Amino acid sequence: SLASPSSLQGSELHGWRPPVDCVRANELCAAESNCSARYRTLRQCLAGRDRNTMLANKECQAALEVLQESPLYDCRCKRGMKKELQCLQIYWSIHLGLTEGEEFYEASPYEPITSRLSDIFRLASIFSGTGADPAMSAKSNHCLDAAKACNLNENCKRLRSAYISTCNREVSNSERCNRRKCHKALRQFFDRVPSEYTYRMLFCSCRDQACAERRRQTILPSCSYEDKEKPNCLDLRNVCRTDHLCRSRLADFHANCRVSYQTTTSCPSDNYQACLGSYAGMIGFDMTPNYVDSNPTSIVVSPWCSCRGSGNMEEECEKFLKDFSENPCLRNAIQAFGNGTDVNVSP
Amino acid sequence: EAALGLYFSRDTYSEKIYIDEPVGTPLLYVHALQDARGEVPHFRLGQHLYSTYRSQPHRNDWFQINEDTGLLYLNQSLDQRAFEKLSARNGGFPLLTIYLQVFLSPRPFRENDCHWPSCAKVMLSIINATMPACSSLKPREFCFLETGLSFRIRENKPPGTFHQFRLLPVQHLCPNISISYQLLRDEDLPFHSDKDTMEVSMRHSLDREQKEKYELVAKCTVREGLREDNVMVPFPVTVYDEDDSPPNFPTGIDTASAVVEYKRKEGTVLAVLQVFDADVVPSSGDIPRKYIHTMLTSDPRVIKFFRVEHSPNETSYNSNGSRVRAMMHDYKLVLNQSIPITENHSFQLGVLVNDTDFQGPGGVLQLYFNVTILPVSIRFPNISYSFSVNRNAHRYAQIGKVCIENCKEFHGVNITYKLQSLSVNCTALSIITSPESTTGNLFVNDTSMLQRPECTGMKYDVFAADKQSRKQSKTTLTISVEGNFFPEEEGCPISCAVNKRRLECEECGGLGSLMGTCQWRQGDGKGISKNYSTCTPSLKTCPDGSCDAVESRDLHICPQDCIRGDIIGGHEKGEWRGIKAGYGVCNCFPEEKKCFCEPDDDKEPLCDEVCRMVI
Repeated sequence: SLASPSSLQGSELHGWRPPVDCVRANELCAAESNCSARYRTLRQCLAGRDRNTMLANKECQAALEVLQESPLYDCRCKRGMKKELQCLQIYWSIHLGLTEGEEFYEASPYEPITSRLSDIFRLASIFSGTGADPAMSAKSNHCLDAAKACNLNENCKRLRSAYISTCNREVSNSERCNRRKCHKALRQFFDRVPSEYTYRMLFCSCRDQACAERRRQTILPSCSYEDKEKPNCLDLRNVCRTDHLCRSRLADFHANCRVSYQTTTSCPSDNYQACLGSYAGMIGFDMTPNYVDSNPTSIVVSPWCSCRGSGNMEEECEKFLKDFSENPCLRNAIQAFGNGTDVNVSP
Repeated sequence: EAALGLYFSRDTYSEKIYIDEPVGTPLLYVHALQDARGEVPHFRLGQHLYSTYRSQPHRNDWFQINEDTGLLYLNQSLDQRAFEKLSARNGGFPLLTIYLQVFLSPRPFRENDCHWPSCAKVMLSIINATMPACSSLKPREFCFLETGLSFRIRENKPPGTFHQFRLLPVQHLCPNISISYQLLRDEDLPFHSDKDTMEVSMRHSLDREQKEKYELVAKCTVREGLREDNVMVPFPVTVYDEDDSPPNFPTGIDTASAVVEYKRKEGTVLAVLQVFDADVVPSSGDIPRKYIHTMLTSDPRVIKFFRVEHSPNETSYNSNGSRVRAMMHDYKLVLNQSIPITENHSFQLGVLVNDTDFQGPGGVLQLYFNVTILPVSIRFPNISYSFSVNRNAHRYAQIGKVCIENCKEFHGVNITYKLQSLSVNCTALSIITSPESTTGNLFVNDTSMLQRPECTGMKYDVFAADKQSRKQSKTTLTISVEGNFFPEEEGCPISCAVNKRRLECEECGGLGSLMGTCQWRQGDGKGISKNYSTCTPSLKTCPDGSCDAVESRDLHICPQDCIRGDIIGGHEKGEWRGIKAGYGVCNCFPEEKKCFCEPDDDKEPLCDEVCRMVI
């Protein structure tokens, strides 16, 4: 790679202030009569759904132009914030009309993640207390250790057993479980339990199949992941994009795990933590990813979809799928977490 | 959408830009291919620069394109100040890549709608450093970019030039290095790379149904003095499909027969016909709109009772050793509603299948389903039933089943059974219909009758009736009461399931017990097992994993199959209700709606009084 990562780091936050969140931006807009009137107009325009007719309308266009100058334009949301859905609704109400409706990669409505994997390791070493005895770690089953660590924490144990019992409850012969409830319980687990616990369970490193099977089973895939039929990935993406939360989490995954040719780790800004966080952020939605098998060494993850039936979009479908299944950034990030290593980056 | 016009050979082009590259530095060529002969491209740039992460677009002050040749070049040097200006608008992300949009359509175009085939994106990686010295570049950097190559060519379209190998900025700044390109194995392939112009073109138009992927290899040779380096990269070309094949019947069969007899339930698949289409357009998302089927009937009864379900599936075939994708469409004739047993009707149902994108004759196919709906009769087999019942049987003891002819085959028919006593005052039995198996379960309803001397032989008429048509059938049933009456032990529980040990189980009876005493099931003791130990009124019906029509009358009969409440101890719950598997012995208290599964820790003594005496 020609670019040295350090030269890019320097410019990372240059001339840039963290944006206000969209709920706050909405309040600011509401206090101003011109902004609030235009925002109301735009929302009515978008309620018609069809973007092209909307853009053809002069009034809608004018509203959009005025709002590009308002605090609403640059607002972002935080993961797991209060009123996250409301924040995202505000975000997309502007951006659906504004930007390229059906882009392959959409911009993330979330604030960039600035924390690092090494922060997690520092925290993890406090409570695991195991230190780094290589003889110990070579023998042990990291995924089992992670489950034990979770059970020793009241909050983690409670939310883990909540999702396990929900996802395991059979409804009838034809319906294995209540998928909607299972997804909700999984989202609560990943939103409310600190990542020291959740990542350890999700990204533990394995040497044998039993461990890798436990890792694959973390999200109870028979309920939360597998389905009777495997949809086409682009059709699944369209389903995901009709839901503000799913759409946002997918955009966030693309922003943080998309392969970069300019960095040593293949991750944007060499930030593993950001990639793992946005991967975990998709669990509990239509695009829920998981390990495809219990192979201990080769890590392949994918959403429950395939590229059959893509027609002329096969290339695009493969590209979409490979961002999961053959993504060096994501793979490096998972492996780095499993090994307890992070890239050394100068702040 | 017939005439789409010109199209780009890629949807994304890439190049690298360094700070302070001189004005006029050529960056890259974009290529447009024709849809029809004679079309001439006019390339136009969008007015803005976009960043890969959303942020306000910036006016394009630096790049220009040659309208005729598609050459993109710098018309103003990108200096450090410009770089910082662009970075500041990048929403906090380090500035790595910006992109430009190139359009083929005449102005005005909507910049928000940049989509292949009429618009391509040019991704420019901006590197915050000046161009490195030629001597410090590796051979690969003279030849190819890191972002891979891939091309899109539409089938049946005029051939044309679709790629320029040279990396223009590098060649512009390092003119003394000799670089040549070659496409490996291109002689027998429909592509040609010109040694002088370093352009790649097609020899003739392509047909996707012959071959849809060309996996070529591009070889680059860098000569610097005496040194020679070779770099090879994959050069994939994908042929894009158009709807140029009509649908057909893969085995020539356009007719299927369907008979409706015992299976009359909504959702039953009666027959399937397959339609093959060599095209993969429309894609799965568009198929419901573009591959349309219509039932050719105006008969309201047919529309009411039948529907046609279409399920498309991708398949593939072999063409000269390579895999080519195609579509197989299954058309299923499905019952839309349960059909009454009296319905007697046969007809031919035509279904029109229309591949709406296909231009030309043959885009419409007709399928035929020859449907016969046979009436079925409700009829008992030509026998009279006779069962016996033990005089000590408890209430809800299941003594037998009655069933009309072919009852196991019936689906979607609502049969109910009724009893009518022919021996006055001897109405000990009742019957209940089990809807899932269309059988009638006979059970003891009034135990006091069993002890009456006048009721030792009871006669009943059994009626089976179809709810919808009110058709019915009748047979006779003889019941003999057997065995001697013995009085019940004192203090026995109502439910067999309460008992936790074999001894107490077998000395008492309970609701549903056949002979007056409960039966013990000895489990295998292998952890949480489906075969757990338990006490039951009848091993034939309880626990069998299903809460049948009689058992569901009263939770005391078989809570093991029917409980909805708490199960304490090692267990696995049943799908709807009941215990699927348990650890050790499972006993239940129906009043409290609770079951316990736990190992029997105080086992019976190894040696009791009797055994001691033998020693």
